[in-house]
Amino acid sequence: MENFIQEMKRYLGLGAEDCELLRNLGPHMERYLPEMSERFYAQIPHHPNAFRVFTGGEAQIARLKRTLQAWGRGLFAGVYDGAYAEERFQIGFRHVRLGLEQKYVISAMGIVRAFLIDSLLTEFPSSHERLRYARSLGRILDLDLNLICESYFHATMDNLRVVNQQLEQATIGLLEAGRVKDEFLAQVSHELRTPLNSILGFTKLILDGHSRNAEEDRELLRDVYSSGQHLLSLVNDLLDIARLEAGKITLHLEDINPRHVLDSTLPLVAVQAAEKGVQLRDETLEMNLPHVRADEVRFRQVLLNLLSNAVKFTTRGSIIVRAHASKPQGFLRIEVEDTGIGIQLAERELVFQKFVQGSGGKSRSSEGTGLGLAIARRLVEMMGGEIGLESGAGGEGTRAWFTLPLSAGLSNSAGGQSRQEAKAGIEE
Amino acid sequence: MTNSERILIVEDNKLVAKFFRMALERAGGFSCLVTEDVRKMLPEVEAGRIVCAVLDVSLHDTEWEGQPIDGVELAQLLKKHAPRRLPILMATAHAMAGDRERLLAASGADEYLEKPVYDADLLVEKVQRLLKPA
Repeated sequence: MENFIQEMKRYLGLGAEDCELLRNLGPHMERYLPEMSERFYAQIPHHPNAFRVFTGGEAQIARLKRTLQAWGRGLFAGVYDGAYAEERFQIGFRHVRLGLEQKYVISAMGIVRAFLIDSLLTEFPSSHERLRYARSLGRILDLDLNLICESYFHATMDNLRVVNQQLEQATIGLLEAGRVKDEFLAQVSHELRTPLNSILGFTKLILDGHSRNAEEDRELLRDVYSSGQHLLSLVNDLLDIARLEAGKITLHLEDINPRHVLDSTLPLVAVQAAEKGVQLRDETLEMNLPHVRADEVRFRQVLLNLLSNAVKFTTRGSIIVRAHASKPQGFLRIEVEDTGIGIQLAERELVFQKFVQGSGGKSRSSEGTGLGLAIARRLVEMMGGEIGLESGAGGEGTRAWFTLPLSAGLSNSAGGQSRQEAKAGIEE
Repeated sequence: MTNSERILIVEDNKLVAKFFRMALERAGGFSCLVTEDVRKMLPEVEAGRIVCAVLDVSLHDTEWEGQPIDGVELAQLLKKHAPRRLPILMATAHAMAGDRERLLAASGADEYLEKPVYDADLLVEKVQRLLKPA
């Protein structure tokens, strides 16, 4: 700032003599300052952004006029140093903040200049004296104009810097989103190629005559069929995930009796469990289950996913379905507990990510898409609940659980409704 | 090739492993060792009874010294333990641009096949070419 003002003073030729003259001029000009501010504000309100800037009515204009007079008085301070420049700088910053454009201020400054120079005519009849004052006055007005322009420049730069930072942040966000998308695409490609390997491979083995007999043909075709089924569930899950992430899945929330969902879903895995010699037990049968607010199709999808996982990872023992009303308050919690391979603590969150499967056991093979829990979590959260995994009783097996908000009417009788209402973002 | 010389198949997808075995046995007349267990394959490799290895890159259940390892690390491990040149073919569903170069460079493997690998004759041809002394 100090450098800037020294440089400008040298350039304009504003020296000690001018300072002295301007100091002397101050008392003479005092009576012209009100008129100066009138002229200035007669012009400024006509600029196109005036409606944005002058919102305070007459009181604001009166205040601005006083400020302008103080500015005029400042011209005759006689000391034009860094502190002077700093003070003048603030004017530009204020104008930029208000949205007052530089070009209009410059033309208004021209009016001020003409008025002040004219007023010297009245004040100093002697042309010799008048010209000396006029030259000094011209220099200080030039200096001020330069300071205002410079401050505009700096204020604009500051604004640009902020905008730049925001753009940089946005770019980083976009790059990250792009990276996540690329990664997802690579995973999808990987997952689709695996069942295709079996479908195309076994088919070609048969076609090329590498199969020994009709019986082996049938065996290989069964493998082709199961790989095709796996491919189908992958495609379905991928569509679900894509639609969920694009916000394209709309829930149809209604009051649902969980009894109906449980009764219609458990039989879907009962046969499979029985084939493995695993007992499937519904401990909610004796309970009077409160109604929940949920999308019935999605509710069933989540429950089926947890039940399928339990059957998949359990080779002996049992799978027990439990329910807790109002635990937590205002929610129904449904649990599927198995005596299967269990899940390591470190993996209990990871398996909710796309394409992540637990490392326990050797049961991966072609089973599962690695998307089921990712989908289940999104669905449960859309319905206002939560989902998680923990150890089963005695640290054995896995207990998978999810919660759904109780229906408003019935949750009152169950003793809590506030939390469900606090959960935002549920589309009806 | 004598009967004791085998091709090692390490593949965590059971059906894909089954296809590799059938393709190599039926179309190439090779005998195969299919395992994901490093402790089972390593003695065979060290004894020189494995002449070529077909490895998957993503290995869900394979561990070495308590740490999960993937096909890239397994390729390095097998090369290190083999008494003589052991050609390795990576067969992987990682098929995005740059994967081939990246995986070959990182693993030190000799050949790379992109899944789906479904042509038994092509697979056999690749393996036979790898078996020829360099």
